[in-house]
Amino acid sequence: MSQLLRGPSPDEELVTRTVVVPAARRRRTPKHRVASSTRPGRTSAGVTALKWVVIGVAIVVAVLPILYMLGMSFKSPDDILSTRILPSRLAFENWAAAFQNWPILTYLRNSILSAIIAVIVALIISIPANFAMARLRAGGKQALGLIVSAYVAPPIVAIIPLFILVRTVGLMDTVVGLGIVEGLLLTPVAVWLLDGFFRAIPHEIDEAAQIDGCGPFRTLWSVILPLTAPGIVAVSIIVFILVYNDFLIPLLLTQSDASQTLPVGIALMQGGREVMFGQMAAASLAGIIPVYLLALFAQKWLVGGLTQGSIK
Amino acid sequence: MTQSVLTSSPGRRARRTAWAGRTMLTPVLLAIAIVAIYPLGYLVASAFSESSLGRPFTEWVSFANFAELLGDGVTFPSLGRSLLFAIPSTLLALVVGFIVALSLDAAVKSGRIVRVLLLLPLMTPPVMVAVIWKLMLAPTGGLLNNLGQILVPGSEPFLFLGSSPSAMISLIVVDAWQWTPFCILLLYAALQTLPSEVYEAAQVDGAGVWQTFWKITFPLILPTIATVLVLKLVVSFKVFDLVFIMTSGGPGFDTTVSSYSIYRTALQTFDVGAAAAQTIAFLVLVTIIIVPLNAVRQRLHRED
Repeated sequence: MSQLLRGPSPDEELVTRTVVVPAARRRRTPKHRVASSTRPGRTSAGVTALKWVVIGVAIVVAVLPILYMLGMSFKSPDDILSTRILPSRLAFENWAAAFQNWPILTYLRNSILSAIIAVIVALIISIPANFAMARLRAGGKQALGLIVSAYVAPPIVAIIPLFILVRTVGLMDTVVGLGIVEGLLLTPVAVWLLDGFFRAIPHEIDEAAQIDGCGPFRTLWSVILPLTAPGIVAVSIIVFILVYNDFLIPLLLTQSDASQTLPVGIALMQGGREVMFGQMAAASLAGIIPVYLLALFAQKWLVGGLTQGSIK
Repeated sequence: MTQSVLTSSPGRRARRTAWAGRTMLTPVLLAIAIVAIYPLGYLVASAFSESSLGRPFTEWVSFANFAELLGDGVTFPSLGRSLLFAIPSTLLALVVGFIVALSLDAAVKSGRIVRVLLLLPLMTPPVMVAVIWKLMLAPTGGLLNNLGQILVPGSEPFLFLGSSPSAMISLIVVDAWQWTPFCILLLYAALQTLPSEVYEAAQVDGAGVWQTFWKITFPLILPTIATVLVLKLVVSFKVFDLVFIMTSGGPGFDTTVSSYSIYRTALQTFDVGAAAAQTIAFLVLVTIIIVPLNAVRQRLHRED
């Protein structure tokens, strides 16, 4: 196993410390941070300056394209055809035109609704499975690997059979059908990410519950579920973003404005003409803002979920 | 009560636990059956038959679909292009991500803001990433060509997405832009857990920054690097959105990677049998690459 499992990182602690031994962990966190920032051999002024340069460049590279897009959304067609980098005036008409020309709010509703359905489907399936594997030792050692391997295959592999299946059960071109299929497709990811959280709880807790007369189902519901809640929240956010951001599956399973998601809508609106750039930028930004808000407010959970779950 | 539970029913409890375990695993097995086993079976069946979307399995054709793959001049080049995309994009994101992760401890105090900013590309829906970069790289009105105009007025615009090999290189760079934060995140978390005693000992021994890195940090972080490599490679093989929006597989077939080629065969020419055979070839390729790498990764973790 990786060295990661030797000690939780600060982010994992944010998530797990409230679960296991709150007071002790919380006291240790600041010390850990000090130790890493004053790590011997890493403190010379030159090296620190170099690190700041790397961080600075990385931030510029990460943020510049997004800011350019923001600028583009306020550029008038004249600005776009000239070689100006910043807009000469704020052309709000791009935004108005984007919302007028395309049903962006409907797309947005479909994106969010299908993502929520997918989260519910994935959690309802994965939570009992994680409990059974991590706490009841069901399925043997290979079970997790087998479940996860279902996600390794590129989704393009499943498009034709899933297309036929969804059409057969009559859920083609519906948000519900899209949400269910996405939820099923992401169940292996949810199982994989949740595994670390379910295994982190000391076994004494199950034993105590058992001695108190709790069967497996009640142990899951009233003992383990509250303890793994931070992990479940983190995984919900990750699955939500994966569905919200997906393109191939909604492209396949939806055909009309009433059920298409925002990425599909934006992908299909490509006129490619320069005069449309401003509107496309505005429409894309409208779809990006919800994920960024989620990332901003749920950063702690997100980082904890990804690092706890995926490295082992 | 407690005593009776402890003494009288361990066997019954074990049976009940086993039954509960199986019951709780049933939904996930059904899900796997729907999204993995059924598609695979369907794929194999249609690869060996004449199939279209409306009328599947009309005629058993044995290996004809596979024989066509050899001669169609599309399938094998697109498999090659999948590799040509996946390997450089993975290495680029991994190396840059590692360098940034190593530098991040300098910014520990401002960690939250820096982290949110660095995570933004990863959070951006890939379709929007593709739109952003398509606008950035556009021949007229794009940032890079505008800068070019300012530096060399009157120069011809450079066709980033319309010429070879720059279209593929652009896709690789854009994919790395999106996924470097993922590598930073996982590698930084792993770096945080390295034991500080080792570093103290290294300093006592008078080891320099460079030596400390190669003798201590790198070997300790290697298992995590292997994990991130495998994960990113899996993700890179799935690339579809960037190709669909930025290049549509062009210029010519320059960026027609396997997943895009399969999509076109299945849903634009409706030749399900050929698409299925292509898909199986693609799956074989992914398996050949991922399985040995994953074995190496597991060995690194065990040694650790």
